[in-house]
Amino acid sequence: MICKRLIMVPLLFFMTLVISGSSIAGGPTEDVRKTTDRLLAVVSDPAMKSADMAAERARRIRKAVDERFDWKEMSKRTLARHWKKRTEREKEEFIDLFGKLLERTYLDKVESYSGEKVLYVGEKVDGKYGIVVVKIVTKKDTEILVKYKLKNKGGEWLVYDISIEGVSLVNNYRKQFNSIMTRSSYEDLIKKLRKKVEGKD
Amino acid sequence: MGISIRVLFSLVCWLSMFTSFCFAEKGQTWPGHVEGETFLLATEVEGHELARMVYAEGRRTEPGPAVNPSNMKIAQVRDPQEVSDSSEPWEDEAEEIDSISDPLEPMNRAFFQFNDKLYFWVLKPVATGYSKVVPQFGRVCIRNFFSNLVMPVRAVSCLLQGKFESLGIELVRFVVNTSAGFLGFQDVAKQALDFPVQDEDLGQVFAFYGIGPGFYIDLPFLGPYSFRDAVGWGGGLFINPLNYVVDFWPNVGVRTYDIVNNTSLRIGDYEAMKEAALDPYVSMRDAYYQYRLNLIEK
Repeated sequence: MICKRLIMVPLLFFMTLVISGSSIAGGPTEDVRKTTDRLLAVVSDPAMKSADMAAERARRIRKAVDERFDWKEMSKRTLARHWKKRTEREKEEFIDLFGKLLERTYLDKVESYSGEKVLYVGEKVDGKYGIVVVKIVTKKDTEILVKYKLKNKGGEWLVYDISIEGVSLVNNYRKQFNSIMTRSSYEDLIKKLRKKVEGKD
Repeated sequence: MGISIRVLFSLVCWLSMFTSFCFAEKGQTWPGHVEGETFLLATEVEGHELARMVYAEGRRTEPGPAVNPSNMKIAQVRDPQEVSDSSEPWEDEAEEIDSISDPLEPMNRAFFQFNDKLYFWVLKPVATGYSKVVPQFGRVCIRNFFSNLVMPVRAVSCLLQGKFESLGIELVRFVVNTSAGFLGFQDVAKQALDFPVQDEDLGQVFAFYGIGPGFYIDLPFLGPYSFRDAVGWGGGLFINPLNYVVDFWPNVGVRTYDIVNNTSLRIGDYEAMKEAALDPYVSMRDAYYQYRLNLIEK
């Protein structure tokens, strides 16, 4: 019991560090922070470290990420002009596959967490769109500027793009998908996407 | 050769004086700025003495741990359109406009493959072995040392773009880190003064004067470049004092060591990029382009 409490001390300290940043109640920063804190709680939980908890750990991370990311909006923006040409079923299929790919990518990033500090350095809100700027300070003394772009949907701020050091995820995938589609076809893109998600690359 | 170094050094001293006047004129205050500070820095001050002074100054003006007002401002100023234009941004987005032209794609893809193999077969094993011998702290120090050494490239690039504040930061960083930071192994300026390294190079200078990126080129050993930035990189070699002090082959050796050291601190990044991409070549090309665009806008 005491042991557990001792472990909580650095965690709490870390969280107060994070919380002492700018806080606007109900704003996008608040929502991003909620998710980040949940993720950090999972990855820093010593009870979750063991190998047989790996699946549970991944499940919890996935759940937290799922609730904050708007896979549909991301898919729409990534396919851009190709989105309208798709049927409803194709759209659903794409959202599912692309969501899984992003989820896995994000999961890998979160899983490799090793005590980086997350600082909330800026926020901008314009109507239903918002940007939250986060600085990640690694133990190797490097700083990574991450920008979350969010859209307000029914009072909840949902992420539709992340840009890391100016490189937007949605833009990057859009270029890749467009390149594949102009070379071959949408069907080929789906095939490649499925292969990637299923890990048979 | 010795003369050019001396000329460069006196230029640096002169410039640092000049920029400190600029700061004074603009009425800007920055941590550690006192009357006649340039004089103080230029004269022989014992390293730890200066460090303590600088630390004390830095602490007094240090903002809260999590909020950085200057960054906040930057974040707000930098995105004037992004939010307001984004009613339905994906609809009118012309995809071809915001990407770099790539007429040499077949050749570039071949070199991309070459670099990929070079990384997995040579660079990564070497860097992994190296990281087992040298602890992380040491490797960060060595990275700082090399970064400090190429200050002239950044300073000249700041100057040519008229970014005098950045130039001042770079020069103060050099003086502080070389003295109090033990020849640049410690980034005291960042830790104590919150003066981060100013990421400027000649490619950005060319962009500042309206020169477009040209075409994309993935160079063997060197990696992704736009034509403009490759020329900038070449030009940077002439400003880098290392090239005047060290002969060709030792120079290549030092650079290789720098690359190995940097790679040892970044193992996993390239793998993650490849893992997440459907077409790693296109992903890399676009990431490079977006990254450079972001640096140029700053």
